[in-house]
Amino acid sequence: MKAYWQLTLAQLRIFLRNRQVLFWTLAFPIFLMVMLGSFLGDGNGVSVSIGVVDQDQTSQSKEFSNLLAKNEAVHLESSNSKEKALDQVKNGDIQLVVVIPQGYEAMMKDSANTKTFEVPVYYNETNLAVSQIGLTIVNSVIDGISKEKVNYTPSIVTNSSGIEALDLKYIDFLVPGILAMMIMTNNMNGVAGQIAAWRERGILRRMQGTTLKASTFIAAQITARLMLNGLQALIVLVVANLIFGVSVNGSWISLITFVVLGTLAFMAIGFIIAGIAKTPESAAPIAGFLSFPMLFLGGVFFPVQDMPAFIQPIVNVLPISHLSHVIRETMNVGTPFMELGSDALILACWAVGAFIVASFTFKWE
Amino acid sequence: MNIQQENMIEVKSLVKKYGTFTAVNGIDFTVGKGEIFGLLGPNGAGKSTTLEMMVGLRKPDGGTAIIGGFDISRDLNKVKEVIGIQLQSTTLFELLTVEEILRLYGSFYQKNVSIPELIEEVSLTEKAKSRIKTLSGGQKQRLAIALALVHDPWIIFLDEPTTGLDPQARRTLWDIVLKLKEKGKTTVLTTHYMDEAHVLCDRIAIMDQGNLIALDTPSGLVKSLESDSAVEFRFEGDFLTDELESLDGVKQVGKNKDTYVIYTDDLQVTLISLIQLTSMKNLKLTDLQTRTSTLEDVFIHMTGRSLREE
Repeated sequence: MKAYWQLTLAQLRIFLRNRQVLFWTLAFPIFLMVMLGSFLGDGNGVSVSIGVVDQDQTSQSKEFSNLLAKNEAVHLESSNSKEKALDQVKNGDIQLVVVIPQGYEAMMKDSANTKTFEVPVYYNETNLAVSQIGLTIVNSVIDGISKEKVNYTPSIVTNSSGIEALDLKYIDFLVPGILAMMIMTNNMNGVAGQIAAWRERGILRRMQGTTLKASTFIAAQITARLMLNGLQALIVLVVANLIFGVSVNGSWISLITFVVLGTLAFMAIGFIIAGIAKTPESAAPIAGFLSFPMLFLGGVFFPVQDMPAFIQPIVNVLPISHLSHVIRETMNVGTPFMELGSDALILACWAVGAFIVASFTFKWE
Repeated sequence: MNIQQENMIEVKSLVKKYGTFTAVNGIDFTVGKGEIFGLLGPNGAGKSTTLEMMVGLRKPDGGTAIIGGFDISRDLNKVKEVIGIQLQSTTLFELLTVEEILRLYGSFYQKNVSIPELIEEVSLTEKAKSRIKTLSGGQKQRLAIALALVHDPWIIFLDEPTTGLDPQARRTLWDIVLKLKEKGKTTVLTTHYMDEAHVLCDRIAIMDQGNLIALDTPSGLVKSLESDSAVEFRFEGDFLTDELESLDGVKQVGKNKDTYVIYTDDLQVTLISLIQLTSMKNLKLTDLQTRTSTLEDVFIHMTGRSLREE
């Protein structure tokens, strides 16, 4: 017991005195979070820039523009030259150009007219998704105007009202991902590098010459790293809260439990890497080889659902996917622990399985 | 003999093989209580391997050793409680202080000595609160010995404790080892410094290519060398070993780089004929010196090679 506390204390001292490592292991995730969060933070809403070329310049044509501008998603830009507006579409500055031709008001007022009046709309085909939304908006406005003109009374209408259950932005998606990433890299890469270096430098060998048990040594490593991870996660959460107003909606106890589970799983994998790496120089690339794909496949920066179907089975066994999922659910939605039981179970299986493998591959020298 | 009455260490035909290479080829020896026992030999002779098998860091491929009454192949944990080790080229946690690392290693054992007293014994009191990375080579080595003593072991194993240290630091370390003997500790050390073995060791085992080729007290070993004097010199120009061997009184001729050593049991006669030979051949002798034979000479005599061949 005395050895366990002394080793934990020693490891914490080494962490805290290694200022550079301490700084950069925190600086990197915070930097990533601030950068991605600032650029993509509000990326959830869609907005369409529509250029209007009003060749009619009448009260009716102005009414048309106003109706368009009423839509929340529309950013309207009036222009007096059709050519200029089309150039803007080509450059991608606006997605759509609506041209209101001369004679629009005259047509509207002439109730006897049965000939269909055409309003030309030009859109950018390279950004089809946004252009389609814009087209739909323009169509619905025109549809409304023409129905009004013929005094059409609809028999069925949709009654849509938006439900704002949780105001989630990309930053809310990102912060849990960054936490999961930190837990993965700090433990997997950190343990692999440190243990391989200690072995190379004969530190482990010297300890093997004492009555210290390997289990005590590993238990102390785990404890020290749990404390450090907890602290780092807390700092990232505080920064996320101060800068982006991200908060933890679910239970802190579940969140801590998942941080612990993730730490155990990735530390165990780190121990396996340290066991198979022949030199400290080879431990880092091996850890990088495993952690890099996991960053992209594991739902850290992008939702797992966006991955192609054939990758899904792989994604679903990766520990990082489950870790980022449970942290995200707990932080964003506040899903209760029991509903995340299967993810927790998979993480626990990773931790136990990897520790069993690590106990076979671990070498003091 | 008195020292044979209580054996702290009994090594029984230890063997270590790496593939087809035999690093240690079935060696036997015993070490008595309170003895300082030296394992001497050039690099690659098998000293460190032997020592590492005795402390349980390498599994022997044959034979065993009884350390402090416990068999290393069956009771390794009990062996570890009664031995303290200092390994060659061990680095320590650079970011911890002297005091912290001693407390850490102390926590690995049931029994502990007083840490401040231990720091005093190895003359590190001023550095007690300094980080290990600020220590000099000699200070680090003394700390390594202190780590071996933290649980008050009966037997201390030191693997090349003074390699790479300056003369002053070596002497400080020798004093510490001799103090351990006064306290009744048994010490096994490896070295390739002859003077160190001569000053410290009660008995010396000379190893070469995995075999134990001699075991005796330092003076006993020198006596076994029939020639009691050595003449060392250098020439400018080539010389034939045969002509040196035919000089009067010469027992053996050795060469270490460009320095010749001739061993003789009649210094005067040999010197006279050496001078005659060189003046006849018109050769210029440099750095001529005579001395009594040392352990180094014993080693050259036994193996035909120098201890520290670069």
